This record gives sequence, structure tokens and C-alpha cells, in this order.
Amino acid sequence: MNSRYLQRSFCAGLALCGSLLGSLAQSAPRTPVDDAAVIEKLPFRAGDSRARELNALRASNRKAPSDAAIAAALAQAYFDTAQARGDPRYIGYADAVLSPFDPQMSVDLLVIRGMLRQYRHDFDGALGDFAAALAQDPERAGAHAWRGAIYLVVAQYDKARTECAALRDLQRLVLQGGCTGLVQAYTGQLNSAYATLQKTLALARHDDQRLWLLTRLGEVSAWLGQNARAERHYRDALALGRDDGYLLAAWADFLLDHNRPAEVIKLLAGWEASDPLLLRLAEAETQLQMPAAKAHVQALDDRFAAAKLRGDTTHRAEEARFQLRLRKNAILALPLAAANYQIQKEPRDLRMLLEAALAARDPDAAKPAHDWLQSTGFEDAPMRALAAQTLQLPVVKKQVMSP
Amino acid sequence: MMRPFAMGLVLLVCQMTAWAHKASDSYLVVDVNGKAVTAQWDIALRDIDFALGLDRDGNAEITWGELRSRQSDLAAWALSRLALTRNGSCPLQVTGLQVDEHTDGGYAVLHLSGVCADATGALGLQYRLLFDLDSLHRGLLRLTLDGATHTTVLSPTSGGLQFGAARASRWEQFSQYLVEGVWHIWIGFDHILFLLSLLLPAVLVLHMRHWQGVTSFGVAVREVLWVVTSFTAAHSITLSLAALGLVSLPTSLVESAIALSVVLAAANNLWPVVERRRWLVAFGFGLIHGFGFASVLAELGLPANALVLSLLGFNLGVEVGQVAIVAGFLPVAFLLRNTRFYLRGVFVLGSWLTMLVALTWFIERAFDLKLVSP
Repeated sequence: MNSRYLQRSFCAGLALCGSLLGSLAQSAPRTPVDDAAVIEKLPFRAGDSRARELNALRASNRKAPSDAAIAAALAQAYFDTAQARGDPRYIGYADAVLSPFDPQMSVDLLVIRGMLRQYRHDFDGALGDFAAALAQDPERAGAHAWRGAIYLVVAQYDKARTECAALRDLQRLVLQGGCTGLVQAYTGQLNSAYATLQKTLALARHDDQRLWLLTRLGEVSAWLGQNARAERHYRDALALGRDDGYLLAAWADFLLDHNRPAEVIKLLAGWEASDPLLLRLAEAETQLQMPAAKAHVQALDDRFAAAKLRGDTTHRAEEARFQLRLRKNAILALPLAAANYQIQKEPRDLRMLLEAALAARDPDAAKPAHDWLQSTGFEDAPMRALAAQTLQLPVVKKQVMSP
Repeated sequence: MMRPFAMGLVLLVCQMTAWAHKASDSYLVVDVNGKAVTAQWDIALRDIDFALGLDRDGNAEITWGELRSRQSDLAAWALSRLALTRNGSCPLQVTGLQVDEHTDGGYAVLHLSGVCADATGALGLQYRLLFDLDSLHRGLLRLTLDGATHTTVLSPTSGGLQFGAARASRWEQFSQYLVEGVWHIWIGFDHILFLLSLLLPAVLVLHMRHWQGVTSFGVAVREVLWVVTSFTAAHSITLSLAALGLVSLPTSLVESAIALSVVLAAANNLWPVVERRRWLVAFGFGLIHGFGFASVLAELGLPANALVLSLLGFNLGVEVGQVAIVAGFLPVAFLLRNTRFYLRGVFVLGSWLTMLVALTWFIERAFDLKLVSP
């Protein structure tokens, strides 16, 4: 490599960095001097396989905008891209592809719109779409599976069980196993849940299904306190070599819980664009007192501010955790965790509510979490210990926080 | 072997500030003052690429050249998706293109300007950018309408919005224009140089073809008062006439004449022609400078409901700004009036420099040339 090229690429890198860092401090419009100055990097090269697939579908959609099958394929491809990369722009693209069909939507389109709505935490809207899809096609397994997943998130376990049963009747055993396994896990039967998920894994043939099941097996094992087994499942899932934001977040949480921040830093390098993953990376850096932590905490602050500007409330779970663990501000974290718990009631949401209530020394705020633990019988020992701690808080309210 | 190490460091720093994934937003800042509209619109380069295709060579990098070459397409696309009205339409045009960064990456910055059909009434705004391609896109609007600020999030369901004209208090309007007046004399170098050229000799008197200091402060003050008062009276007249739309002159003519007035005022110090009646010079050229202030005021726009009050505020602001300059200048000049520094350095050299600078302005403005690049 000749030295001139090196020098130039170094300068270009430095200039890009300078502009990035500068933008953090104070951004102001500027006029680049050089036509060759790179002002933005796109997610894909035109020749990348995913870009080629998306572009080809987009071109067909443009040629035949009223073709529902092409629209469904394009919207599904955008949704998959959003899931893999954690990039919500693709959710907006997918939604715009579907909207010209409203209100005459095919089953395919309704199912995809339901998926897009649940991504934005519009669970009622999503349930409406899945119900409409099932009214047209009662055998649409995907609609049942998604409905089951939403009922799990909003803690309506009886309704979730009905969806699992529908999947069994349709002979969709992998979907049914995942559905049932999670209902069991969330309702205090961790051992049965583990067995169900394990059995289902043996049936699963697609990598994406295996990845999902292995991730959930990792979570269930960790709740059971079987850390070595949890780690094995997570590692098997990672070995499939697919980008998956949920898996990375779950594995990072496991590592953070077990005081292994250095591994989180290695795992999440290059994933800073995703808010949930940057949050975990910043937690690891803070634990290790690394200098990078400061910039990442600031970046998260900026992103939450930017989301607030556009009226976006889907980040509340992450923001509560950010305020609690990185800003150490329980007073701000608690209302966020409580508001998130109104929408999402999965174990991690519950745990955040308990942690925030404990830090803010507010036993009343922890009450919904106690009710949930009591009614479900959820078995995770650390979570139960956390709940017990909040019960020991003095009931005197309006107490000033100790410094 | 410094280079590879340094490269590694750059990569490390770059990774630290990777862009966030975030749903698409554009940032629209609109300022409407009477009929005049100026705006800045930051649109994400990723969004422009998705709508128009910027990455011509397909290497996943957008360069400034790739953006610049599509400026007219970008302008046509963006402007077809934003409409402003004020008792009729406010046609907009793109006056400049820059770039900036927000939390999720690089943005094109469009500078817009336009003129509304009417200077009063509610402002209508219709925003449709990207909604056909990305239904989660939002426009984050900050609108300043005659001094009152509104902010809102524009979504596909916003439709056409109406913003009521603010009823700013009379005093607020008056003081706003007063401040503008002060500001515009301070940043208007040609006005300041003209005034200083006339004031430099106020502490001197021509004796046997040689300049020497005046004997008393009172003499200097009287001279300054005459000059400043007549300059003020003159430009107030033309400023009012022009602002009320009674007289109008082409801007290029006014600007050239202002530059010429500075040249002549400075030359008069070096080769005195008018010595005793400088106030007449101040008055004559003050008429021209008034038109110059009027064009600033036209850009600012005058609220129809408080026309006279705002005009008075602006005029007074110009005077206050002038008085401040004089108050700073006169005592110092009087103290130094008999020194070589003042007589040779400030007076002669200063007048020469002023004359040369103003001559450059004059040639640039009269012949529409660019002699000194900014």
C-alpha cells in the first residue's frame, strides 16, 4: 500500500471523526470544501445481497403498486431488516408500503401490519390486525403466534394459552412449543418450561427458530440459577452466526448480572447504533471505569432527548434503566419504569420497576410488581429477593433520599 | 511506525461515536416576519438517498459532490412537499445548501426564503415530506411567527395546520425593533465608516493648510452634534419614506452610492474641499444611507398592526447605536488630537484605508464584481 494512500485515508478518517466529535459538542451547518468529502455512510452497499433483494422488491412494488403479494414481500423484507439491525427506519418504510391498501387488506398484509404495530408497542392495534386476519383465515398460524407473544408481554396468560392451543390444533408444533414454554416460564413453572422448550428445539429445523428457542432456553436456565447451562445455550445461539438484537441484549444482560463486563465490551463492539445494545455497552464500560463510558452515556442522553422531541415513548424501558444505572437518578427512573410497566409486563420490565422502587425508597411503587409475583408465582430467585427488599422499605413516604 | 498506531486510534474514536438507529425526523425552523419567510430545513441524507438515490457509485458513502450535483432535484422534491400560506401562498425557494450532523447521522441543510401574499393573518403550513415512503417520518417544526414561537411534531395525520398570528405587546414590538436598529448600525460597516470619516476631523481644525487640534472640548462636541444630528435627520426621512413604500430605489444603486459616500467623506479629509459645512455633507449622504437602512428593515418585515411604532423603534435603535459609537470615539479622539499618532496615524492613515476599502466596495457594488473573496 503506498504511503500517500495511507495518508489520505488517515486524513479522511480523521476528518470524519472530527466531524462526528464536533457534532457531539456543537453542531452547526457547514459547507464542505472538498467534493470527495464523505458526509454520510449508508447501511448497505448497492451490491450487498440484502440491498439487492430490497431494491429488486422495491422496483417491482413501484411497477405494480396494487399487487398485494409484492407489497407483502417487500414489507416483510423491511421488517426483517429492522429486526436484524435494530433500525426503526425500516418499520416506517414497511408501513408506507402497506398503507395504500388500507382498508382492503389481505391476510398477509394484515399480519405484517400487526407485526409493525407491535414493534411500536401499539399492542391493541396489533391485536386488532391479527383478529382481522384470523377472521379471513382462521388457520393463519403466524397470527396466532404473534397474538400469543403480545398476550405474554401484557401478562394476559389465559389468552396466551388459548393461542398456544390454537397452534397445537393447527399442528404447528414448534410455534406451539415456544408459546407454551414461555407461558409456563412466566407463570411459575420454570422446570416444565425448560423441558417444553428443550423438546421443541429438537423439532425446530430453521435457524431463526433455533436461535429464538436457544435464547429463551438461556433465559429460563438463568432464572433457574443454572448458569453454566444458560451460557451453553447462549453460545449455541451465537454460533448460528445471525444478527439478532434480542439475543445480544439477553446474553449481555447475563454477562452483566454475573460481573463479566469485559466480555460485554467485546460482544457489543460495533453495535453502538442500537439503543438497547449501547445501553448495555455503556453499563459494562461504566463498571470497568473506561473512558469511553462518558461519551456513550452522553450519546444515550442525546438519543433519548431526540426520541422525546418526536413524541416517541417506546424507549421508556431503556430510559428507566439508563436513569437508574448510569445516571443514578432513581427519582427520574421510577416514573419511567412505572409507565413502561403499564404497557409491558415481562420479567425484565418487572425487575426494572423493583430496582427503581428500591432505589427511590418507594414501596408503594413496587406494589404492581408484588401483585404480579404473587399471582404468577414467577420463580426467579434474585427477583424474589429484590421484591422482598422493597417490602422492607419504611412505609413512611415522602422521605428525602439519602445522598 | 506511528501511522498504523494512529490509524487504529482513529478507528477506535470513530466507533465511539457511531450513529444511532432512529426513526426518521427532519428539523424545520421557519421564521415568518410580516411577508418575509426564512427557513432552515435539515433533512437526513439517508432519507434523501432513499427518496432520490444519492449514492451514485453504490459504495455506501455519500459525498458532498454527490449531494451537490443533485441540489436542484433535492430542492424540487423538498419544496413540493412543503406549503406555506398567509392569506395566499408564500412561494419558497432554496437559497443555499450545507450539511450538518444530528444523533443519527449526516443531514443536508436547506436554506429557504420566500415572500408571503400578506403580512398579517394566520400562517398555514402543510408538510408532506417522506410520508409516502416512510409513515414513521416526523417533521419537527419550530415556527417563529412575528416574534412568537410555536413548536410541533408534523405527522401524516397533521394535515394542514394553522398558526394564529401572535398578539405581541406594543412595547415588545417596539423594543424588538429598537434592538434590531442598534444591531444593524453596529454590523453595518459602511455606515460606521462614513460616520467616522466625518467625525475624525471634528477634533481638528485646518490652520494654514495644516490640521491641528481644536482648543476646547465644546468646539468638538458642537461639531459632532451638528454632523450626527443632520445625518440622523436625513436618514430618518428616507428610511421612513422607503419603509412606508412611498419612495423606492434599486438596491444596487443605493449600495453603490453608500460606498461612494464613504469614499468621498474620507477623501475630503485628505484633500479638504468641504471644511466648515460638514453637516451639509452628512445630511446629503444621510439621505442615501436611509435607503440602506430601509432595505434591512424590509428583510426584517414591519408588522402591519404596529407599523409606525416599529419604524420609530428601529430609527431610535439606529440613533442609540450611533450615539454609543460617538460617545466611545469623541473623548479618546479629543485627548489624542494633538499627538502625531492621531494626526498622522489615525487621521491620515485611517482616512486612506477607509477610502481604499470603500473604493473596493464601490467597484464591487457598482460593477457587480467580487474583488475580495470573503
